[in-house]
Amino acid sequence: MTDTILDPTGRAPATGGPAPDGTASEGRPAVRLAPRPDSLAGARIGLLDNTKHNAMLFLQAVGELLVEEHGADSVGIVETKANFSVPVDEEIISRYRTACDVVVTGVGDCGSCSAAAVADGIAFERAGLPAAAVLTDAFDITGRTMAGVQGAPDYAWIRTEHPMAVLSEDQVRERARRLVPEILSTLTAPGRATGEGA
Amino acid sequence: MTAPTAGRLDPAAAQDAIEYAYAQGWTDGLPAVPATRELVDRFLAAAGRPADEVLSHLRQVDRTVTVELLAINAAMAGCLPEYFPVVLAAWEALARERTTGGGGWQSTSGPAPLIIVNGPVRRELGFNGTGGVFGPGFRPNATVARAIGLTVRNAYGIRPHELEQATQGIPGRWSICLAENEEESPWAPLAEDLGVPGDAVTSTLLRTSEFVDNRHTAAPEQLLADFADTIGRSGPWIFRHAAAGLVLCPEHANLLAQAGFSRADVAAWLAEHSGRTTGQLAAVGKDRSNENGVRFPGEPADPDEFQRTIADPASMIIAVAGSRNAGISMVVRYFADWSGRPVAVRAAGSTTTVAAAEDGARPRPGAAAALTAEGR
Repeated sequence: MTDTILDPTGRAPATGGPAPDGTASEGRPAVRLAPRPDSLAGARIGLLDNTKHNAMLFLQAVGELLVEEHGADSVGIVETKANFSVPVDEEIISRYRTACDVVVTGVGDCGSCSAAAVADGIAFERAGLPAAAVLTDAFDITGRTMAGVQGAPDYAWIRTEHPMAVLSEDQVRERARRLVPEILSTLTAPGRATGEGA
Repeated sequence: MTAPTAGRLDPAAAQDAIEYAYAQGWTDGLPAVPATRELVDRFLAAAGRPADEVLSHLRQVDRTVTVELLAINAAMAGCLPEYFPVVLAAWEALARERTTGGGGWQSTSGPAPLIIVNGPVRRELGFNGTGGVFGPGFRPNATVARAIGLTVRNAYGIRPHELEQATQGIPGRWSICLAENEEESPWAPLAEDLGVPGDAVTSTLLRTSEFVDNRHTAAPEQLLADFADTIGRSGPWIFRHAAAGLVLCPEHANLLAQAGFSRADVAAWLAEHSGRTTGQLAAVGKDRSNENGVRFPGEPADPDEFQRTIADPASMIIAVAGSRNAGISMVVRYFADWSGRPVAVRAAGSTTTVAAAEDGARPRPGAAAALTAEGR
């Protein structure tokens, strides 16, 4: 007699057989990036701090540069996540949708907060808000795995050198200045004010 | 379960089944027992709980652990069906930990569950609570702890190098399950002291376990000072406070008890004496903590000021386990805070009710203990 070996993942019928790809997210609509503005002229910036050391300093430096040098109107909302491990919920997203036009979030520099920053970026895109999520380069794989879990396996975030937490204030500001062009190009689509598929 | 007879086995089929589990990515590196419907049904029968009962849900991955998934993973880990009520209690005790519903399993810290079993079930199932209690050699201890690890891996999909981001992880991860040595402990069983008498599991997540070897003195304060020095070390101390407990060997526990110390007295003494001076902390850049509780180099201050490691003595697990053959105990450092609430082990047909376990459970120790090592 042969007997079926049960699947321990909960991702396949308990009658056995191989599990589906562990990172696939079935039954969810494909993620489309939010429509991008031509530029950030007049835009309100949203900042979402994940509590990691230097994250708030970095985000505020980015916000200031986007306002002072790239025509953004203001920083419209700044919040700190209550739990850096858990992606933002509908309530938080709706506050951002009301108070800003684009979002910058991070900094992913730990196991769970990096994955959550990617999930946050995808959640903002789903809600129609262009988002730039910043992760250090030590967390590529966990970020990519979470992107798959969220149904957006090709989602692109902003990558910066690890570590961020040990930098001095001046170094954090320098890092922000260096990343602003990439953040800007992530949040805008000059000459093409429509979204593109992720 | 009757042990099979060697002559009737089919080793080739067993090897195929083992390789199948590896190929699916279902194991932790060691061979896993193939879980069949018939085997898993015996696990479910041992617990007497609905297969589809949801035990926990992890929001960021949208994955759920049901009684059946836990049973499948426990079977794969090598548990016997009669261990399953202990696995269930361990999972439920861990689910009470704040961090296991957050980023704990994904953390760079790579924390390990500490699972402490109390009550007659220890002897009935053969849990080790004496010599080599942190080591291998005993099926219930080894497989109950492994069942938790396989469940995190398979049911939550949190696998190393992917969503699990342990920088190094800690020795003993997925293998620390010990019975309290109630027979040689001078105090009431740990879970009973915490309000859950009889068969019960107490659990939290650890960052490490560190031995204290002290077998030269009969002075309780010298022994306690040795623990306090270890607890007070600066390395693990990244927030305003850090949390730790003790797994005392019987010799140490009895020395303290004979000197008049209760469990609570030991915790109170250690909370008062474990720590470092501001000067010592300044030398490692950890002398002050910011509004998030994170330690950092501060402004010049009184270098002789003593800063306590432990925020609240009620947050200390003081268990007794090991052999009575030497004075060697373990400081166990928590990953974060501790719920302070054991879970009763309930086998099918058991008379212990959920309500009794819940009513007996203490409120969690002071929220002040929360500022510890989560998620770093």
